[in-house]
Amino acid sequence: MQKEEILNQLNIIFIDTLDNPDINLSFHSTANDVEDWDSLNHIQLVVAIEKHFKIRFTSQEIQSWKNIDEMIGSIQRKQV
Amino acid sequence: MLFNSIPFLLFFSIFFILYWILLPENLRIQNLLILGGSYVFYCWFSWKLGLIILSYSIIAFYFGFYIHKTPDLKLKTRILHIGVIFYVMSLAYFKYLNFFISSLNSAVQFSGHTPNLHTLNIILPLGISFFTFRILSYLFDIRNGKLEPATDLVIFLSYVAFFPSLVAGPIDKPQLLIPQLQKSRVFSYVKAADGLRQILWGLFKKIVVANNAAGVVDFAFGSNRLHGFVLIYGAFFYAIEIYADFSGYSDMALGIAKLLGFQITVNFNNPYFSQNIADFWRRWHISLTSWLTEYIFTPASIAFRDLGKAGSIMAILITFLVSGLWHGANWTFVAWGLLHGCYFIPLILMGKMNKKKSIDPAQFLPSLREAINMMATFVLVMFTLIMFKADSIKSAANTYINIFRIYPFSDFKVDIPLLIYTLSMLAIEWFHRDRNHGLDIARINNMTFRWTIYVGFVFLILFFIVGGEHKNNAFIYMKF
Repeated sequence: MQKEEILNQLNIIFIDTLDNPDINLSFHSTANDVEDWDSLNHIQLVVAIEKHFKIRFTSQEIQSWKNIDEMIGSIQRKQV
Repeated sequence: MLFNSIPFLLFFSIFFILYWILLPENLRIQNLLILGGSYVFYCWFSWKLGLIILSYSIIAFYFGFYIHKTPDLKLKTRILHIGVIFYVMSLAYFKYLNFFISSLNSAVQFSGHTPNLHTLNIILPLGISFFTFRILSYLFDIRNGKLEPATDLVIFLSYVAFFPSLVAGPIDKPQLLIPQLQKSRVFSYVKAADGLRQILWGLFKKIVVANNAAGVVDFAFGSNRLHGFVLIYGAFFYAIEIYADFSGYSDMALGIAKLLGFQITVNFNNPYFSQNIADFWRRWHISLTSWLTEYIFTPASIAFRDLGKAGSIMAILITFLVSGLWHGANWTFVAWGLLHGCYFIPLILMGKMNKKKSIDPAQFLPSLREAINMMATFVLVMFTLIMFKADSIKSAANTYINIFRIYPFSDFKVDIPLLIYTLSMLAIEWFHRDRNHGLDIARINNMTFRWTIYVGFVFLILFFIVGGEHKNNAFIYMKF
């Protein structure tokens, strides 16, 4: 799947999970940029992402993401 | 050495002059001085301590390289685990072996047999929980690819034994301190002056508030007049004492580091102005909370992520169990930790754990809602401190029960001066809550006014150093 398409789908997941319709992710977005995205919600987001894309991340991968772009990279790798 | 002692004053005065004057801005000399100074500082307590921290540091230095060099992730992790087991076992030996033996003895006794294991005469190395966690953080971060191993042994040894934060934290992350050790420090008058102010503030909290509160606490809990109001009075001042003591020490640590050109981790952010328990733990002993969040809570949450809120609750209880055990070898600490973990349950169920709470710095007073939240959180924390302070669960339980025994409080007087110092401390920190510390007053331009404040504080501190009881000089958290 293309990066832009994944980004769009992630945006929907974020809006849904964090219950915030104003979220507008970019590739460089980090937890500092998005309101309510923090350690506990991060796990909820991960679960929602895994369910949506039907993939499973390792603990290492989850803790390695520094921004959305890296998250998308992991998703793409899982889809191969 | 204790920060609030004559030997330290002498040591640091000499150290400060050597550090900034002997070949200034020579990185090698600066770092050798930090290393040498840190070991002198630590070995002041006992030379054996120096041996322990040196050997632990050297082992970690080499482990770091092995972990980093190993390309295979599974093998990397295995080497990491060996290292972690070594350090946790050593910590367990020093801290928990006697606890384990006496608990085992109790269990054996309970089942009707005679226990025959004797507790050993093991002295707990000062600050071992703190520097062990520094080392573990280093090893975890290398395995996780967040950090390259240090190549300079002097720098690494200095990171582990950094004397401002050695005996009672903050637990500095390697990414914060090691890069600072890799660049020479340039003297900054502004930083140094700020450091001095912070030290002064820390000394005020320790000597004027904490040491005096300790007297009241000993009176309230030591006597047999165990009736309700005295115990609440004692618990209140214990909460004040432990805050003033620990945050005072942390302020001094940060101030001393600033005098040497370092920025170390902030450890407190006005925890008694918290509006719920999650907020409290983001403001109390921040470096430990960060450590536990990164290395225990987050991995546990990830592992239990399929269990939804139940998984989060399990993760928080495990985290606070570890926190309790970190504090010490007693069931009271375990109970204390679990109590705090339980306090999180309503927040997790309501999905409010991570909602950041902050009060606008421009607000003069808290709103009624905010004030109620703060007082409720304070009472919850105060309640757990009775367990924290107790020698045993039984003793804590007695105290809790006795709080409800109301007798006429005829033979007890509130220590008014102490109340004034306490309220002053809280008021100053409230009005300066958006600043780095209570005495962050550089922006007051009137020099006369500023110097009046400094002299006033120094006077007050000296008054209590000279006139006060000296048995309270050690910092509470040094025993962890």
